[in-house]
Amino acid sequence: MEVTPRKAEAEQSPARPDRKSAWRDLFTFRAAAQPRQELWLGVGAFLLVLVVWSIVAESGLVQPQILPSPRAVVAAWLRLFTEAGYLGDIAISVARVWAAFLASAVIAIPLGILMSGYRFVTAVTEPIIDFVRYLPVPALVPLTLIWLGIGEGSKVTLLWIGTFFQLILLIADDARRVPKEFIETGRTLGASDGALMKDVLLRAMLPNMVDSLRITLGWCWTYLIVAEIVASSSGIGYELWTARRYGKTPEVFAGILTIGIIGLFCDQAIRMLHRRWFRYLQ
Amino acid sequence: MSTSAFIRINQVAKAFATPDGGTIPVVDPLSIDIKEGEFVVFVGPSGCGKTTVMRMVGGLETPSAGDIHLDGKRVEGPSRDKGMVFQSYSSFPWLTVLGNIRFGLRYRNDISSAEKERIARHYLALVGLGQFADYTINRISGGMRQRVAIARTLAANPLVLLMDEPFGALDALSRERLQIQLMELRRAERKTVIFVTHDVDEAVLLADRIVVFSARPARILADIPVSATLPEKRSLDILDIPEFRQIRREVLALIRAQETGLEAAE
Ligand SMILES: Nc1ncnc2c1ncn2[C@@H]1O[C@H](COP(=O)(O)OP(=O)(O)OP(=O)(O)O)[C@@H](O)[C@H]1O
Ligand SMILES: [Mg+2]
Repeated sequence: MEVTPRKAEAEQSPARPDRKSAWRDLFTFRAAAQPRQELWLGVGAFLLVLVVWSIVAESGLVQPQILPSPRAVVAAWLRLFTEAGYLGDIAISVARVWAAFLASAVIAIPLGILMSGYRFVTAVTEPIIDFVRYLPVPALVPLTLIWLGIGEGSKVTLLWIGTFFQLILLIADDARRVPKEFIETGRTLGASDGALMKDVLLRAMLPNMVDSLRITLGWCWTYLIVAEIVASSSGIGYELWTARRYGKTPEVFAGILTIGIIGLFCDQAIRMLHRRWFRYLQ
Repeated sequence: MSTSAFIRINQVAKAFATPDGGTIPVVDPLSIDIKEGEFVVFVGPSGCGKTTVMRMVGGLETPSAGDIHLDGKRVEGPSRDKGMVFQSYSSFPWLTVLGNIRFGLRYRNDISSAEKERIARHYLALVGLGQFADYTINRISGGMRQRVAIARTLAANPLVLLMDEPFGALDALSRERLQIQLMELRRAERKTVIFVTHDVDEAVLLADRIVVFSARPARILADIPVSATLPEKRSLDILDIPEFRQIRREVLALIRAQETGLEAAE
């Protein structure tokens, strides 16, 4: 039977389930999401870790050199901001990550789409990509230093190598997973190859592609710290390593937490955009 | 064979490569001539090659032998002349109902954008989705999605409409409604249609002509001129008249003989 618009709208906002069943659903296999309860659980678990950490550190069971208390870490953090110009370090690290990430994405997206579409491109590029992909990034540090010196170029290049060759394969797979029917529909409606890639393929793969980009951005941070530890005089990774050299464990903790917080923030922001942009998937 | 055929399938055969390096014949050389405005239904046992023949007409599959001409031009690949409606849902989820129908006009540069908008809304209304213009695809029913696909394909103004079990996934009631709607659309548009179905009632109801295929590799077992016995304007009441039941029996007997033949061979 046909659904009238009004009825369909009513279906969109079902009566709110009671709280008890929401909690039960959390333990039911493949039950619907319970955003509010899930948020509380996430925050709760985070706080629990914090509380356990505080108790262990403040009780004096463990030396502060090994495990500083949360209070000491917060103090170290403030010190970093006020005395060591930490904001500048954060800014330069974020800039390096985004420069490398954007450079990867700008090349990987068109090339990945071409790889999915043309056997020639795959045949030529895949062996090279697979070869580079298995090289551990730290192994390339000496070479990038020899070639590019210790300037920004070598660090961004290192991050780019670490992410580009992974990202391009993810993008090509996202493109390959677009249903054949979409492509054939486009063709029978008169789309040229170019139009097909732009108007059908890219649009159809976009939600998965944003996920691929989000995951790759995380890898960027991993390689950033490697690059900054080995060859840098600024950035979060550099400060982290310097703090270790002087035995400042609270500062080391503060550095780790900073990276975690930035990562968490970026990830959640992209997830939120994903939900907003791709509302049609629900 | 007359040279005036609108669609001319000439000694077309198809064999697919098998994973072990051999080939498997799916369509034996066969010829079909279709007149402009004719509604031809392909029926035959499952897996016999109906979809393959239709996809070759659509240019989505290349014949291993023979050739196909549409309106005097050789079919070399897919184009806007050959509109396809697939069985599975092929509407784009990132567009609205109206957006999907508009997409059918996107690559037409023979008309202005104001004209495109008018045509899109015309077909939106024609398939009865006027109220749902701004709905996204994931929020409408299966039957409505197929109507979107049909409207989008018609909006592209193809020379021939190729429909591969378009109502196969629908419940009986939606299917009946769409069958009636398709008959009306067709009378209004005078399109040439090739339609594949498993449902013999559907075949007899819609067809000017039924082509019955053998089990794989496909050959033509019978070519039944339905419109010679049944009136052109039909309704669901026709299911009860003797001529209808006669044709239906005939088609069913042909397919059944093939399927028992298949079982005996296995
Ligand atoms: N791309 C392909 N590669 C190899 N074999 C194929 C391919 N497409 C179809 N076939 C085979 O060709 C045969 C005919 O397929 P086709 O889809 O044309 O049959 P059909 O008559 O449409 O069947 P159904 O009624 O079940 O839809 C099947 O045995 C199928 O396995
Ligand atoms: Mg089929």
